[in-house]
Amino acid sequence: MPEEPDIELSFRGGRLVSALPIALFIAWAIFQSGILGIGDTTGLVAGMLTGLIAGLLFVRGDWKDYADVIFAGMTRRVAATAVVAWLWAGMFAETIQVGGFVDGLVWAATVLNVGPGLFPAVTFLLAALLATGIGTGYGTAIAFTSLVFPAGLLLGANPVLLFGAILSGAVFGDNLAPVSDTTIVSAVTQDADIGGVVASRVKYAVVAAALAIAAYLVAGFGIPGVWGGMPHIDVAGEVSASVSPWGLVHLLDIALVIVLAVRGRHIIEAVSWGLLLAAAFNVALGAANLVDVSAGSMLLFSAPQNGLTQAVEALPLLGAVVETVPAGQVGVGGSVYSGAAGFFPLIVLTLLLVAGAEIMRAGGGFDAIQELVIDRVATTVRRAETTMVVGTALVNATVTINTAAEIAIAPYIATLGKRFNINGYRRANILDANTSALGYIFPWGGGLLAGYGAMQGLVGGEATPWFTAEMLVNPASVFPYVFHGWFLVAVFLFAAWTGYGREYVSDRTSEEVSRV
Amino acid sequence: MSRLGKLLAGWTFRTATPTFEPGEAITAYVSERNGDGLTVRIGDSVIRVEDGEDAAVEDKIRLEVTSFDATNHVGTGEVVEVLGPDA
Repeated sequence: MPEEPDIELSFRGGRLVSALPIALFIAWAIFQSGILGIGDTTGLVAGMLTGLIAGLLFVRGDWKDYADVIFAGMTRRVAATAVVAWLWAGMFAETIQVGGFVDGLVWAATVLNVGPGLFPAVTFLLAALLATGIGTGYGTAIAFTSLVFPAGLLLGANPVLLFGAILSGAVFGDNLAPVSDTTIVSAVTQDADIGGVVASRVKYAVVAAALAIAAYLVAGFGIPGVWGGMPHIDVAGEVSASVSPWGLVHLLDIALVIVLAVRGRHIIEAVSWGLLLAAAFNVALGAANLVDVSAGSMLLFSAPQNGLTQAVEALPLLGAVVETVPAGQVGVGGSVYSGAAGFFPLIVLTLLLVAGAEIMRAGGGFDAIQELVIDRVATTVRRAETTMVVGTALVNATVTINTAAEIAIAPYIATLGKRFNINGYRRANILDANTSALGYIFPWGGGLLAGYGAMQGLVGGEATPWFTAEMLVNPASVFPYVFHGWFLVAVFLFAAWTGYGREYVSDRTSEEVSRV
Repeated sequence: MSRLGKLLAGWTFRTATPTFEPGEAITAYVSERNGDGLTVRIGDSVIRVEDGEDAAVEDKIRLEVTSFDATNHVGTGEVVEVLGPDA
């Protein structure tokens, strides 16, 4: 499809009014999840819809242009990428989960004597490893919240701390992975080669990660496992009855996905292969009676009772995924169904959020902020770098889907950085670190919501019948515990002020960008 | 640069006011354009180029430093080559 020319919008009250849809959404998100404590993603969808309608009332001229900009935003590739990642990762994670993977992890943690105090620190390291390998922090947040989070609860780890550790691992990978979409955007927009960018940001990532590990150890042993009346003692009782090492065979299909992703296969391809292998393992484990799983755990048509459906149920093969039930319980189920369905509200929210960001761009809201910042605030190199750090943080607070936020702020980082001849590697690092960190810290951030969506999928899940809605970690309560994210931002503020890691264009020329 | 070299580059506290030697050739972006001349800021050090040729703001240029006052962090230079905005 040919690229359509960018539409410009004019708003009553000036360019900053173009930020109204997103501003109203943020106010709604703070009110709903922060003040009232309701973590309902569909509620946020209603907030974003309200914001988009409110913005319409301030448009000068033809309202059709506003509508066209919404369409332009929703059809951006970054939105489609997130949608695809959620659907595929959701199916995969849920299928592994019904195959007893959580039990396997609990078994391994018990054998290796990883107690509730140590568990968050170990989880951070493993999540960081996975995210660095597969390059998607969202995927890591989803997979670990689906798989490792329940295992941690069964061992008595603190749920808020554990969720924070998972998000921290996602931040680490998003920031450092060569195949991460944010890494690629940061390198390409700052005219730097991807390999050089990754090598140059190790010096910031390891400092923050070392501090984060220490913080998880201190908090893990300092904060008791039972938190806010969560019924951990009851949950821990579930362990002895069901735990079995056999679910650990799913490490093989996870490894397959990582290997394929690292070798540059498309995420749809890599995860599909993993899903097929996981399904094969599940059928085999179920047939051998090693894990309580069957084809029906992955896909199940619950049909109303009549002659035809009972005949289908009796068929070989096809009958394995069909059951007949009383009229009130009719529906489709299984891990493939529920894994994908769990993300539907988040997918709609993402599409609307990207549309809101597009309106802010088309209405000149971003430009207005840029002019204010460059001319009045960034008058020395320290202030310029500090502005880059804080500015990236602010844009991430509004756009919330981190890749979209990064694309939006990248031209300003380039302009501001070039004015003081800050090296492309350094610019890319400032841009990506804060983008990676804050999307997992703000309660309305896309990465945090991705993990939270996966947690909602645990409620009444086939593999986690003990997980109730009361055990959900409120998105607004986890932000202080995303230690790696906070330390990464702190390291960059420190670096901007002291010159740690600073390089100028005249010091070292970045190599040719390998454009994608 | 080797992979190890890339990994080990920049583990230092770099000054906000780098110094240059007369005769040194450097690559940098043009920060401002005023009249015929150019201002090139490298951190908070400033190099003035009187004859800016046709270089615009954000163009990358090769320039030779002709003088540099390390106390006030200001110097002068001459354009060797205009590499352009996408260099």
